[in-house]
Amino acid sequence: MRFAGIVILLIIAVALALAVGARSIPPRIFLEALTHYDQTDPAHVTVAAIRMPRLFAGLIAGAALGVAGTVMQAITRNPLADPGILGVNSGAAFALLLGTTLLGRSDQAMVALLTFPGAAIASIIVFALGGGLRGDVGPVRLTLAGAALNALLLSLVTALVLVRQDSLEVFRFWVAGSLTQATTRPLMEMAMVASVGGLAALAIAPQIEALSLGSALSRGLGTRPGRVQAGALAVVTLTTGAAVAVAGPIAFLGLMVPPLARLIVGHWLRMELIVSAILGATILLFADVLGRVVMAPSEVRAGIMTALLGGPVFLWVARRLRPGAQS
Amino acid sequence: MRGPVFMICLLCGTVVASLIFGQSSLSIATLWEGMTTGTGPGALMINTIRGPRVVTAFGAGAVLGLSGALFQALFRNPLAAPDIMGFTSGAGLAIIIAVAFGINAPMPLVAAIGGLVAAGCVGLITHQKGHVPAPLTLILVGLGVGFFSSALSTFLLTLLAHNEAAEAQRWLTGSLAARDWSHATQVWIIGGVLTAVSLGQMRNLAALELGPDLAAGLGLRVGAARWLLSGTAVLLAATGVAVAGPVPFVALMAGPMGIRMTGAQSLTSKMLSGAGAGALVLMLADLAARAALPGIQLPAGVMTGILGAPYLLWRLSREMKRGEL
Repeated sequence: MRFAGIVILLIIAVALALAVGARSIPPRIFLEALTHYDQTDPAHVTVAAIRMPRLFAGLIAGAALGVAGTVMQAITRNPLADPGILGVNSGAAFALLLGTTLLGRSDQAMVALLTFPGAAIASIIVFALGGGLRGDVGPVRLTLAGAALNALLLSLVTALVLVRQDSLEVFRFWVAGSLTQATTRPLMEMAMVASVGGLAALAIAPQIEALSLGSALSRGLGTRPGRVQAGALAVVTLTTGAAVAVAGPIAFLGLMVPPLARLIVGHWLRMELIVSAILGATILLFADVLGRVVMAPSEVRAGIMTALLGGPVFLWVARRLRPGAQS
Repeated sequence: MRGPVFMICLLCGTVVASLIFGQSSLSIATLWEGMTTGTGPGALMINTIRGPRVVTAFGAGAVLGLSGALFQALFRNPLAAPDIMGFTSGAGLAIIIAVAFGINAPMPLVAAIGGLVAAGCVGLITHQKGHVPAPLTLILVGLGVGFFSSALSTFLLTLLAHNEAAEAQRWLTGSLAARDWSHATQVWIIGGVLTAVSLGQMRNLAALELGPDLAAGLGLRVGAARWLLSGTAVLLAATGVAVAGPVPFVALMAGPMGIRMTGAQSLTSKMLSGAGAGALVLMLADLAARAALPGIQLPAGVMTGILGAPYLLWRLSREMKRGEL
């Protein structure tokens, strides 16, 4: 029943994402656009050229980040793990910015490929320095390692933007992702990459669960910790890289979604991954719709809205952790 | 090569270097001429361009460094610093709010309110009846408050016009560009008063360093003493933010660096070393940021970010080896 509930929520989010905006479009017109597309009707063009790509971008990025957050939290056994907080988003976005500004390449599909090495390097750095793969490490260290990586990349980007006298737009992209650029993004390709990541996550989910029993016990069960961790890093890289390629860095989504998913399905990682993907997409779409409404006619970037929603969640989790007591 | 004299020499050298170097460099002779006769390009530099900027950087770095050293001693943790725990972000957010809604109030007051509100949030969220919250909980919750303040600041940037937003963004990075003597006097006067207030609380801090139980045994009202010290430290940080923006990592780095440089033993001299190191870091960062690339002046916060982030990572791995994290 709860599962049906979240699917209904997703449908509502999709409907709102299509209907709400500078031009509000009633469902009847939307159905018309799908069945009898008339390219002289501006409402139909809005649906096909703007709202649909934006919707797909939201679905891809939201689901990918939901999966990324769930895998990160499971492998690090740290409920504060999130691609944004740990700097993986920043690594991917930094690589993308370097590609577009330094290389001067504008073909998005090629440049978007850079997000994957960026995400991979960032996650290796943050997990190695933050001790993220040793589950006995307290959450403070990993979170601070992420904060340090974020701060370092932020400084480099600020320098880059000022040196090249680039517009504030580059900076805005950096600070918070959004779904507005969806039409220029390689949606199909990234949807495929994110799906591969998601399927890989489902495949290694039992091993990740075994790992969380402690490395000695999991070895006894036939798991090889090194391989599982490498697999988890690959999943994080694929999903986060795809999300950043379609929407830019969107923080805190991967933080919020997994605890909600656990509330719904309990501790069962495979189910948690599926529910996280759905919830991630739902929340990102809601955040995007909220961003269109809250300061209309100007839009607030979806990444800013998720950060505003996620900040209190972070505080709520952090307060309950009592890291001083456990480490 | 350690001791207070070493640090004072470094500080003097940095001040002179900051006056000499920049997008256009002066000779020492020109500088000397300007200082003694009050005429020529040297005098112009000292009186209107680099002089106020260097003096402001000195003051802002010192108050940030002192604030960091106070927090680190109070929570007995080298990671406890106002920039890690979100207080500088809170002060920055308050200033962005004032700018966005056109509130005409003095910057130090606005920054102080923002810093105190952020600190109050951390205090409230971690509050538990009958328990002193663990430093790591405070740091973690403080990080969260910092994340949230930054998100709100970014949100408010959407409200501003394009050029205003660019300016505000630059300010949020932490910058000392175009500071005049009013900034310098402001940070030195308020900072001086707050430094005196905090040095007056050294006996309490010394008692608290022994741990809350022993401190209470010595007849100290632990809660009140902690709040008073934290409040002073937050105000110090806010004073720095009001003139230099929320420059990252100066407060975090200054305390341990200062102690290493002077070999300070007593609490008071540790605090003063922290202030000195903060001033050193911010002046050097500002110098590097404005002189490194021809034709381009970076904000000082970029430099402290590039320096401070690796320091934080190094610190984390050290704390981990010592088993404290």
